[in-house]
Amino acid sequence: MPSVISISKLAKHYQVPEREAGLKAAAKGLFKRTYKTVKAVDEISFDIQPGEVVGFLGPNGAGKTTTLKMLSGLLHPTSGGLSVLGYEPAKRNHDYLRQITLVMGNRNQLSWDLPALDSFDLQRAIYSIPTDEFKRTRDEFVELLELRDLVQKPVRNLSLGERMKMEFVGALLHKPKILFLDEPTLGLDVTMQKRIRSFVAEYNKRYGATVLLTSHYMADVEALCRRVIVIHHGRLLFDGDLAALVEKFSAFKTVGFTLDNPAADLSQYGDVVSIDGSRVMMRVPKEKTSAVTSRLLTELSVDDLTVEAAPIEDVIESVFAVRKEALE
Amino acid sequence: MQGFKLAFNYLRIGIMNEFQYRANLYIQILQTFIALATGLIGLNLVFNQVNELGGWGKADLLAVMGVFTITGGIIRSAIQPNMERLMDEIREGTLDYILTKPADAQLLASVREYRLWQNTDVIIGTIVLIVAMSQLGWRVDFWSSLGFTSTLVMGAIMVYCFWLVITSAAFWFVRVHEIANLFEGLYAAGRWPVDIYPNWLRYGLTFLVPVAFAVTVPASALTGRLSLQSWLGALALTAVLATITRVIWRLGLRNYSGASA
Repeated sequence: MPSVISISKLAKHYQVPEREAGLKAAAKGLFKRTYKTVKAVDEISFDIQPGEVVGFLGPNGAGKTTTLKMLSGLLHPTSGGLSVLGYEPAKRNHDYLRQITLVMGNRNQLSWDLPALDSFDLQRAIYSIPTDEFKRTRDEFVELLELRDLVQKPVRNLSLGERMKMEFVGALLHKPKILFLDEPTLGLDVTMQKRIRSFVAEYNKRYGATVLLTSHYMADVEALCRRVIVIHHGRLLFDGDLAALVEKFSAFKTVGFTLDNPAADLSQYGDVVSIDGSRVMMRVPKEKTSAVTSRLLTELSVDDLTVEAAPIEDVIESVFAVRKEALE
Repeated sequence: MQGFKLAFNYLRIGIMNEFQYRANLYIQILQTFIALATGLIGLNLVFNQVNELGGWGKADLLAVMGVFTITGGIIRSAIQPNMERLMDEIREGTLDYILTKPADAQLLASVREYRLWQNTDVIIGTIVLIVAMSQLGWRVDFWSSLGFTSTLVMGAIMVYCFWLVITSAAFWFVRVHEIANLFEGLYAAGRWPVDIYPNWLRYGLTFLVPVAFAVTVPASALTGRLSLQSWLGALALTAVLATITRVIWRLGLRNYSGASA
């Protein structure tokens, strides 16, 4: 099958004004500016097949959003090849824009003071969706996300999670073939994150859409993506199976518990990451997790025991560390 | 066609939005009447001293004031709010949503906001204009009303172009609110016909900031002062400005990178 997204040696460089701190340097900057070239994206290449859900990972400033913005036609690449659905995104061809959507977790496009229904109507006009089809799609999504009682409330009276669900309805009304999701679950509670995730999965299943997702929540990526692409400092570090990535690089789990006796010797259980009052966070090798937790429960009087996967940043960090060693 | 449909939909949303804020209506009515009162007092003060100003009689100047109020209302209801929002979005890098829509970005950026209550100025301005015209003995025929309507529309387009060019500067210079504030000060000069100003200021108010075209020219049409040549000149200038504005907007968009990376 031909790929829907095809990127080869894509690069985006910015010229960033640079100056030292202080009044003198600021005054000098009025007359002569020095610029530094920042390689936000540095020759990355990958292909995505129709219907794939791909996690796009990397620490802050890795170049994820810059790549998504180039894919959605907002930024002109500095060099390299970029083709989505056979279009060159930077030309912002209307036929292309009609087939994609961009959802950003920290932004909203619904009218703040009006019920979401009115904003949906506006989307219908922008995308010239036939009325019957529009109503059918809208009701389908409203049903899926359990929003029926909320669509008539002004958006400003909705909770953050409810608002995000509305954003999704608005962003998908034109049934795009490609979804660019940039941190769509940012700041949402766990239940809400789950809802959004299952909605994205359902949309992907029903319409065969291709999804490229960035997220800092490992759970989002685990639930949705079989394949992940990791970038760091604008360079591609890993492209492959999520299972392989986690297996290979996330060798630890984070165990948290509340301890009555702060004097206890914890070094025999694992590496202590932090102690905040009586709350202890500890890094434990993955294969020893169950043994260590049962020992903690029997040998020390611990409460509120939690076991979490290593933070995604840690996993990426280890990917990066390994790659760097390999390069040296 | 899609453009009109879109503009209409945004207008609808804008009006619905305004209905949420009733207090704004009362404040706006108050502001309109204060502006009207100070305008009338100023006019009377002048005509206590002289019988005419640069060839314009008292009723003529009342007509200018009417047009000034109408145009000001149009600018503040439909042009200025859109441009201010656009300025903020360019600076904050939140223009993304309109750029990913399958519609003309300039159109979308220009029709999203609408301040219904500012139209109290349009209504009061129209009343002032009607009073002025009756004082002038209704010397209005078909051609002068056509001239008035067409130059009013051209004036509004020129003011829009002026605003959009200034706003597009934000693509390069980031902070342009100060320049935009300058407009309000300069627009106030339109309260009087531009003929009464010294040459340098008159040219400035005609070609740099199109106040003359927004106010004096439509008022000239109504009071029988507009020649066909001036009308054609206005038409040509409108076309040139609209084209230049389009080019600058496109260049600006290419330069847009969005604040967050």
